[in-house]
Amino acid sequence: MDKISFREKIKIPRYDDPIQIKMGLIKIEEALCNGCQLCIRACPANAILLKDKKAHLSNIPECMACGDCVAICPQEAITLVKNYKYTGYFKTIDKGDLQPPRFYGVKDD
Amino acid sequence: MANSWETERTETENVILKRRSVRYFQKKQVPAYLIKRIIEVGRFAPSAGNCQPWKFIVLRDPEIIAGITQTVIKKCQALSKLLDYRYRKSFLQKNIVNLLIRFMPNDLHPVPFGAATLIAQGKLKLFHDAPTVILIFKDVRGIGDPSLDCGIAGQNMVIAAHSMGLGTCWVGFAKLAFTGKSEWKKKLNIGYPYEFSSSLVIGYPVGRPDKMVPRVTTAVDWYEDGAKKTFY
Repeated sequence: MDKISFREKIKIPRYDDPIQIKMGLIKIEEALCNGCQLCIRACPANAILLKDKKAHLSNIPECMACGDCVAICPQEAITLVKNYKYTGYFKTIDKGDLQPPRFYGVKDD
Repeated sequence: MANSWETERTETENVILKRRSVRYFQKKQVPAYLIKRIIEVGRFAPSAGNCQPWKFIVLRDPEIIAGITQTVIKKCQALSKLLDYRYRKSFLQKNIVNLLIRFMPNDLHPVPFGAATLIAQGKLKLFHDAPTVILIFKDVRGIGDPSLDCGIAGQNMVIAAHSMGLGTCWVGFAKLAFTGKSEWKKKLNIGYPYEFSSSLVIGYPVGRPDKMVPRVTTAVDWYEDGAKKTFY
């Protein structure tokens, strides 16, 4: 397992410091977006807002990379780019990259 | 992200992998028989020593749902004023909150904290205007970890609901309406030995929210044949 040092353990990360807390990130293909606003209603973090009749990741993203917007988009215009990452006391450990559900069959044994 | 594996997976695997939390519901009420079916699969969840330390309350009265929401909004407003350590300005508040986080790291985690502020501002609806809410209470005298058992029962219900084409979302914030001195404990006749565990909202989704999406992988240590491998 990944280690958390004593120094990291005693440090509470600052929510407003992008170096200490990196929120999730999505990419919206504006050409595909038809402004249906389903992603805005699906987002639990209020991170997506409407800008020029297109969905837009707002200035202060609170994105937790849940993928609910990616799933509900009928135009498949949204992709998940990054998971969130914290440092210090809440350090994110033992995580790899973003992967869709994988399938393992007999040949993978 | 549909792929050819979908047919090779079991139906249960596909329901679980496609399940997304749903926060946008149609006004249409879910038939009572479906809710009863969902609770029935919760009843058959595994629990420590078969103690079944749960109690379910089904809310389908909009007034009660709105009332609980109002109580939680009021508590969230007070909480975010006192404790919101994001963008904090005062040195004293920063240090008091930093100390509190060490004692309550789960309640004061940055992610739910963002949600508390959104609920206080009315930007995030507590029960997402869902027509049916199931409150899950734990019997605190249960064996081992009653909260875990309630979670297992709840997830059984969630999977069953999604297999019926319904949408669900776990709502932990309703806890605020059942902690401390609260009118809702009296109104819903809840007392010892029951304590709020979590709640589920159920309804017909708007759009098609259930789909497979990428998710971060987690390190798995695998010990076999005297060697250790880690895969993601």
